[in-house]
Amino acid sequence: MDPLAAILETFFQECEEQLAELESGLLAMEGGDTDPEIVNAVFRAVHSIKGGAGAFSLEALIRFAHVFETALDEVRSGRMSPTSDVLKTMLRAADVLADLVRAAQAKEEGEHPNAAALVEELKALSGGAVDTSGSEEDWGDFEFTPSVVAFDAPADAAPVEEVEIQPGVKVTFKPRGDLYAKANEAAILLRELGRIGTIEVELDAHEVPPLQDLDPEAAYLSWTINVTGDVTEDSVREVFEWVDGDCELKVEPLGGAPAPGADAGFDLSALLARVQDDTPAAPPAAIELELEAPLALEPAPAPEPVAPAPVAPAPVVAAAPPPAPALPPAAANEHAADGQGAGSRKAEAGATIRVDLDRVDRLIDLVGELVINQAVLAQRVMEAGLARASAVAMGLDELEQLTREIQDSVMAIRAQPVKSVFQRMPRLVREVAAMTGKPVRLVTEGEGTEVDKTVIERLADPLTHMIRNAIDHGLESPEKRAAAGKPAEGVVKLSAAHRSGRIVIEVSDDGGGINRERVKSIAIEKNLISAEATLSDEEIDNLIFMPGFSTASEVSDISGRGVGMDVVRRSIQALGGRITITSRPGKGSTFTMSLPLTLAVLDGMVVSVEGQTLVAPITAIIETLQPKSEDVHSLGGHARVISIRGGFVPLIDVGMALGYRREPLPATQGVALLIEGEGGSRAALLCDAIQGQRQVVIKSLEANYRQVPGVAAATILGDGRVALILDIDTIVTVSRGDMRKAG
Amino acid sequence: MPATSSIPCLVVDDQQTMRSLVRTGLQQLGFRTIHEAADGEDGLRHMLSRPVQLVISDYNMPKLDGLGLLRAIRSHPPIQKTAFIMLTGRADKELVQRAVQFGVNNYLVKPFTVGTLKEKIEAIFGVLT
Repeated sequence: MDPLAAILETFFQECEEQLAELESGLLAMEGGDTDPEIVNAVFRAVHSIKGGAGAFSLEALIRFAHVFETALDEVRSGRMSPTSDVLKTMLRAADVLADLVRAAQAKEEGEHPNAAALVEELKALSGGAVDTSGSEEDWGDFEFTPSVVAFDAPADAAPVEEVEIQPGVKVTFKPRGDLYAKANEAAILLRELGRIGTIEVELDAHEVPPLQDLDPEAAYLSWTINVTGDVTEDSVREVFEWVDGDCELKVEPLGGAPAPGADAGFDLSALLARVQDDTPAAPPAAIELELEAPLALEPAPAPEPVAPAPVAPAPVVAAAPPPAPALPPAAANEHAADGQGAGSRKAEAGATIRVDLDRVDRLIDLVGELVINQAVLAQRVMEAGLARASAVAMGLDELEQLTREIQDSVMAIRAQPVKSVFQRMPRLVREVAAMTGKPVRLVTEGEGTEVDKTVIERLADPLTHMIRNAIDHGLESPEKRAAAGKPAEGVVKLSAAHRSGRIVIEVSDDGGGINRERVKSIAIEKNLISAEATLSDEEIDNLIFMPGFSTASEVSDISGRGVGMDVVRRSIQALGGRITITSRPGKGSTFTMSLPLTLAVLDGMVVSVEGQTLVAPITAIIETLQPKSEDVHSLGGHARVISIRGGFVPLIDVGMALGYRREPLPATQGVALLIEGEGGSRAALLCDAIQGQRQVVIKSLEANYRQVPGVAAATILGDGRVALILDIDTIVTVSRGDMRKAG
Repeated sequence: MPATSSIPCLVVDDQQTMRSLVRTGLQQLGFRTIHEAADGEDGLRHMLSRPVQLVISDYNMPKLDGLGLLRAIRSHPPIQKTAFIMLTGRADKELVQRAVQFGVNNYLVKPFTVGTLKEKIEAIFGVLT
């Protein structure tokens, strides 16, 4: 690829990140967060987009980003306060910016419908702030002269002799066990030294014996401390007055070359702290080469004599950790918890690499092969009659362990936080809220929950639909809410969490809940249930997932579009997931989706039918049972039903459905899997026998052969044979059709 | 002056796009050893372990901005003579003035061409060979 084209692609990828940062930053500000770093991050996001767009001459993007940036600069500089109205405009501007980025990426020409209006609004916000995008010509009398670097003094050779050695005292301090026994602390003494001058501490831990020889009450550590600044030998001795006799102490004038390892004691954070703490207006004093003894160091916390850590016999140069990096755990957690902070996000970004998805998928494929191969090998070894305790069998066990770990790690590469789809929702909520005139607040939780990338991609549509639905149908109008004593602003909550090997995503609203009377009457009207049917509340709620339930009278601009909840349900099921609804009148509804973490492996029930080995997805199976003859009833032809706890479900012979046999298996000779298929309908699949539960690697049948009705995919079992994975929904639908014909 | 190809450089910018653009420009000018860092802190850490002769750094970055990086470099003798070019989003007089105070060698306004980049580097090092 042309390098510029590759960079352009990087630019668009980065734009997505910056847009996300922009939006989350603005939302945090809207939520009352006044952290200046957030304002900065928001500004930087737009600034970066503009900068990149400039490099590629993406004019529409540059123009808009420029106006946006100018307005943000007003907020950043404190000239404009980020009121709710300002932030609302900025959020809309962020939406337009996102559209413009996508338009630029798609090389679309033409004006954005809202861009011009927003440009005016932003300009109005900036109050005609001076456009600072000036050129060098506007610099007036200031003239820049580049400073030349002379190469006869190479930049990398630091002139050591220029560093002046300051007067000071060198202290050698070796406590005896008694010092600690009298409750004295080396750390306190070192800290005291730090008060009278600038100290540089070197720890000598070479006397520390191996752990088993360590006497917890003995003292093994000693220190060499260079104290610089306005100090005298006497002032140093005074510090050690109280431990006189309990330690070996040597105090001598400091001179000659700097202590070896002094530079190793240099600490980046201390330098940073110094640079950042100074006021920017400080004169260029920093350029003069006055380097105070490498850096102001805080005394080292003295290790306890029993500390097992410094077992290494080599002398350890202990540069005392300055306060900055040594965040106490609590503070560190606090920082981590502050996920909104742009800083922490950047930190994450720093440790990532971009990898072509194809490479990851290839790796996943290969690991899948490895898993199969390992299983085949294990089976062969079993068949060869090797003892379980034999070296080969044990080695294989280890291999299996490793293979599993590799598989998990590789799957984790494809895993992404659901954030990437969650972060599209605030915009949707804003738009739908504006269309319906209902004030809505979106609350998201568990954005960091990870799941396979494909699952995430395919979640966007169902989630979009459900959130539209929650606002349009779930939330009441502000007037109704007021009448019900609820705050005018409705809350839609989107959350994700890991639960027993699956990801559970919930969309809930605090609206009026499902109007069961209405749902029931619609279902009767649409012939989905009989008028006499007695349904539990839960059953009524779940009627909304029935195909054909979505009604013309309910079609609105927002959640209509001819897509009903049955489509949502189907797309969730296509991902191997389930969706349920719970609703409380007056309190709201919650949709709960449970999805597999990956689409590459599947928990399967391995069954045999007419000598064939088949796999049924465990997620679809409710229970397995041994049919009793009195429970099975024939409906004529080959159609049968089985009575399970008082209800009748169709009994489908898998062997017949797939054409393995012509005559049905007598029900009592087989095992039935009670499954729940599309639309919540139940059926019992009759198989010859159950072999067991196994995690199988999914291999596409379509890619390797062709689509086969009733078969979702294939896998390779431990014995090396191909087993078909059942497409339960198709089997049920097809068999029902047969049954109707038969009936 | 040494051959261009023997001058190690460090490009500091929080945007991968910018780093790539500067790198591509430097490569076209004959630079061979080009390192990258994502912010001032990262850049400083890099320079302490592997000193370079030329730093081209963005101004607006998280953690430690370009001015902070410049000041850190100028206050630490082993690296303080490193040539420093500040990348800015606009010809901001005030920013350039402050950078001059802290000993910047030159500045470069985005977007830039390879020609401008060459000009700005040659103003420091002399003609690139």
